[in-house]
Amino acid sequence: MSLLRYWPPVLFAALAAYPFLPVADVIRGQQFTILFVYAILALALNVVLGYTGLLHLGMAAYFGIGAYTVGILSVPFFPFQQSFVVSALAGVLAAAAVGVATTAPVLRLRGDYLALVTLGFGLIVQYLIRNLDPITEGTKGLNPIEPGPVPGFAGTDMSAARLNSDWGTKWYDYPYLYFVALGLLVLTTLFLRNLERSRLGRAWVALREDELAATCMGLNPARLKIAAIAVGAGLAGLAGALYALALHTTGNPSFYDFNLSMIMVCCVILGGLGNRSGVLLGVLLLMGFDRIAVNILDNEIQDALGSSAKEYMKVSAWKLMIFGVVLILMMRFRPEGLLPEARVRRELHDADAKAG
Amino acid sequence: MDRRKFLTVAGGGVGAAAMLATGGCGKKENTIVIASSLPRTGSAKGQTDTIVNGIKLAIDEYGEIAGMKLQHRDMDDATTGGMWDAGKEADNAREAAADKNVVAFIGPYNSGAAKVSMPLLNEAGLLQVSPAATWPGLTKKVPGDEKSGEPDIYRKSGKVTFCRVCPTDFVQGPLSAVFAKDVLNAKKVYILDDKELYGAGIAGLFEKKCKELGIEVLGHQSIDPKQPNFKTLMDQIAGLQPDLIYFGGTSQSGGPQIAIDMKGQGLKCPLMVPDGCYEEAFITGAGADVVNGRCYATIGGKDPSELTGAGAEFVKKYKDKYGTSPEAYAVYGYESAKVVLEALKKIGTKDREAIRKAVVETKDFDKGALGKWSFDADGDTTLKVLTISKVEAGAFKPVKSITE
Amino acid sequence: MLDVFAQTGAAGFEQFLLLGLVMGSLYALIALGYTMVYGIIELINFAHGDLFMLGGFLAWQLAWTLGVRTLDASSTGAVVGAVALMLVTAPLACAALNVATDRVIYRPLRSAPKLTVIVSAIGVSFVFMNVGSLWLGTSPVKFPDLVPDANLVTAAGVRFTWKDLMVVGVTVPTMVALTLFVKFTPLGKAMRATAQNPTAAKLMGINVDRVIAVTFAIGGSLAGVAAVVNGLYNKSVHYQMGFQNGLYAFTAAVLGGIGNIPGAVLGGLVIGVVGELSKAYLGTKWSEAVVFTILIVILVFRPSGLLGARTREKV
Repeated sequence: MSLLRYWPPVLFAALAAYPFLPVADVIRGQQFTILFVYAILALALNVVLGYTGLLHLGMAAYFGIGAYTVGILSVPFFPFQQSFVVSALAGVLAAAAVGVATTAPVLRLRGDYLALVTLGFGLIVQYLIRNLDPITEGTKGLNPIEPGPVPGFAGTDMSAARLNSDWGTKWYDYPYLYFVALGLLVLTTLFLRNLERSRLGRAWVALREDELAATCMGLNPARLKIAAIAVGAGLAGLAGALYALALHTTGNPSFYDFNLSMIMVCCVILGGLGNRSGVLLGVLLLMGFDRIAVNILDNEIQDALGSSAKEYMKVSAWKLMIFGVVLILMMRFRPEGLLPEARVRRELHDADAKAG
Repeated sequence: MDRRKFLTVAGGGVGAAAMLATGGCGKKENTIVIASSLPRTGSAKGQTDTIVNGIKLAIDEYGEIAGMKLQHRDMDDATTGGMWDAGKEADNAREAAADKNVVAFIGPYNSGAAKVSMPLLNEAGLLQVSPAATWPGLTKKVPGDEKSGEPDIYRKSGKVTFCRVCPTDFVQGPLSAVFAKDVLNAKKVYILDDKELYGAGIAGLFEKKCKELGIEVLGHQSIDPKQPNFKTLMDQIAGLQPDLIYFGGTSQSGGPQIAIDMKGQGLKCPLMVPDGCYEEAFITGAGADVVNGRCYATIGGKDPSELTGAGAEFVKKYKDKYGTSPEAYAVYGYESAKVVLEALKKIGTKDREAIRKAVVETKDFDKGALGKWSFDADGDTTLKVLTISKVEAGAFKPVKSITE
Repeated sequence: MLDVFAQTGAAGFEQFLLLGLVMGSLYALIALGYTMVYGIIELINFAHGDLFMLGGFLAWQLAWTLGVRTLDASSTGAVVGAVALMLVTAPLACAALNVATDRVIYRPLRSAPKLTVIVSAIGVSFVFMNVGSLWLGTSPVKFPDLVPDANLVTAAGVRFTWKDLMVVGVTVPTMVALTLFVKFTPLGKAMRATAQNPTAAKLMGINVDRVIAVTFAIGGSLAGVAAVVNGLYNKSVHYQMGFQNGLYAFTAAVLGGIGNIPGAVLGGLVIGVVGELSKAYLGTKWSEAVVFTILIVILVFRPSGLLGARTREKV
């Protein structure tokens, strides 16, 4: 049990030490930075989906709002040019505000109707990003996003802090951004840990388990759900802000689409709904496979086979299939996820006992 | 029991992490790698297949240079969703930059993706040759663009690291308009685009030239390529009675469906499309009976069937190896690899800076399939020819070549 | 400038309304599969759209193999035969695939939480999509154009072609037959009973597993019919088309009141009409955003969909 509970701190410590190790690799470091961003996004979804049980299919929209807020406040051709701290904070607030404003009117919808509304909301945001060229630059993306770190400190040069030649020269390069992302991930985890144990966190769980009973005990479901959306959307906005910074661009609007929301739902459920450590593991495995392992395997296959490598021999041609089969098998044989939340595990266990 | 399961999972995780940390097994010292980053999954796969075929053909011609084995690394910049992805493109650029065996980066396919990888590779000093990204702003300032800071934002190091063997949309868009006026006698056109950087960009340049030439532009609309059909749109356009419809986009972003619905809704005027549709997939996607005799496609440079000399030889070799005639993009893939390989042969080491310099300063290059051309100071090809082909009997038949 | 407003040509409101109704009846056909499965086991079947895509690919393969590729090059008999064969084979194959998927993947999860099953369905959708991309590649492929585009109406301003007639001629009788089936046959009654309360239905001696299998079979065959009609109407198939059509169909099902058969039809028609009208008056690039905005607005005022029963939460 102790192993189960304490592996995330060990992992975080190892990751923090990684750039100083001799095996450190710039590419992996940069890819890990993006994984941390996804981890924050998945934790954000976990607040909504795991704690309160709202099936939200539009998290990518908040991610996009965070990214585009940072974009608008940083790119040279708009008159704002704020530092990252300011623009990221604005991104968090904007995402949370949009989350509350769009969810409040539809909260009385029941489960699956709400799921569709969130899906639709995600699509609408994506089309707004795509079509409102004067603000978002449409499909061109906002770039370059290279802000200073804090207000009053415009300098981005980090040459003085370099420990070896692999390290970048700007604060938004590897490994500085790696540390920033990791730090924010750790802070998010700690924040959620405390939140879970707070009055609000316990109220959420009560609401998820039995809305009627919770209401009878004097909890206000609407207010609780809005609080969950605000926290989740805000964290997703933070992830988006980091994403835009890491890429130095907001990229293609089609990135912030339903697929991203859906993959995140898969990460959360695969890892263990409601359990922070499980969600982390789910993201590391699924996104790590998608964004890192597939590339490595493909390169190895090509290096091994040379020019005789055929299309269908590559992992990428079968990626969706592998994803699909993994999801199906997991749901069949370990529906509670890799690292389930204690309560969920007990529930499923009871259900098994009853069925048997 | 839980602990055992956990240990299995954790063990797997640690194993995977170890593999990631060391970046797989050791890299071979004695190889030279030419990397390419193209959308290899998803909708553009057809075109990128032909590009990769072209690259492989060029590499096979050399086999090894200065005792070092040549190798092609085929990287994918699309994600599960099937579209190119900024994160993947950035990963690919960084991965290529960090591997000392990589001497050149061929790609990307999409101009939007180029915006992501260009600054990264520029900083790393790695040569990048694109076979397909045609947005002019990547290399030159677009007139009227005061805010984006292109192209200097891609060249932080002050050196030119990006060049492209395909003529930019500055050539294609305007010359298409010239053809529309001179040959097709178009007086009124309707313009559509797919809203992507490439499609909207080229449609905008086409529109601008049309206005200069006195062709009336009845309307310009961006479509949503994901829509199942464009019947309503075509009904509307039919009412305006244009002499020509121009679509800026690719055969994956709605081109074939537009051709299909034009015919279905009774529009008789021809359709004109840029090089994103200049491929077999456009004809099979729309159906030969739909596009035969009523569809014009443009391509910078020459159609493969018109190539002579080294070009004709390339066409023959390609047919022998892959069993099909090369498509336009195959030529660009081949040319990109060829210009790199020739420079490599001259230099004979993995010195990135020397190779970059040699390629960027390429003058009167004639070892490839496209005839004689040079790179200008910005890394653009001096080849400023546009070929317009008409679809006849299910194939592109060149009608005319225009030079700027 | 925001070029929000597209120009309109000569074609008028009636024409766009007609196109919308035709597209809408197609969405409705797919939506029925969603709504029936949802009605019985409360599963949002994300794989339904991709099943529809595979049905379209199969129909394409049939016509291609038979050599019936264009209207001009084939005899009328061959065309009618090929279409009939497609309309039989694709629904059968889709029904079989849907039932098999249920048997192997969803059935062991009957007592599992809803999310578990939804994630399985997403997994199935990924697998289907990969099969599609390996089957016909990733570019759009032309579907044989076997129904004439000739106009049947002489009134000015409106075009109603053989194609439109075909869509209406296939979808309307299918939907009527389905309604009658569910209303009046014993199996239909068993379905409604199971939808209302599976446990009670089981106690009454209804073989619930069989009813669910039949539901998946009907849903799958409707997707197969829709796939053939869609192929003939839009004349193009693509491995990602399941996503877009599935999305609209799912939306239609929810809009009408998920689990409600007439609701799905109404929802499909509303989405078709709103979609085409917004394309006509706001431009195609805004169409999807408009459809979903209207959906959300409707759900705000009618939280259980247009025809959904205002059920109270069970205590």
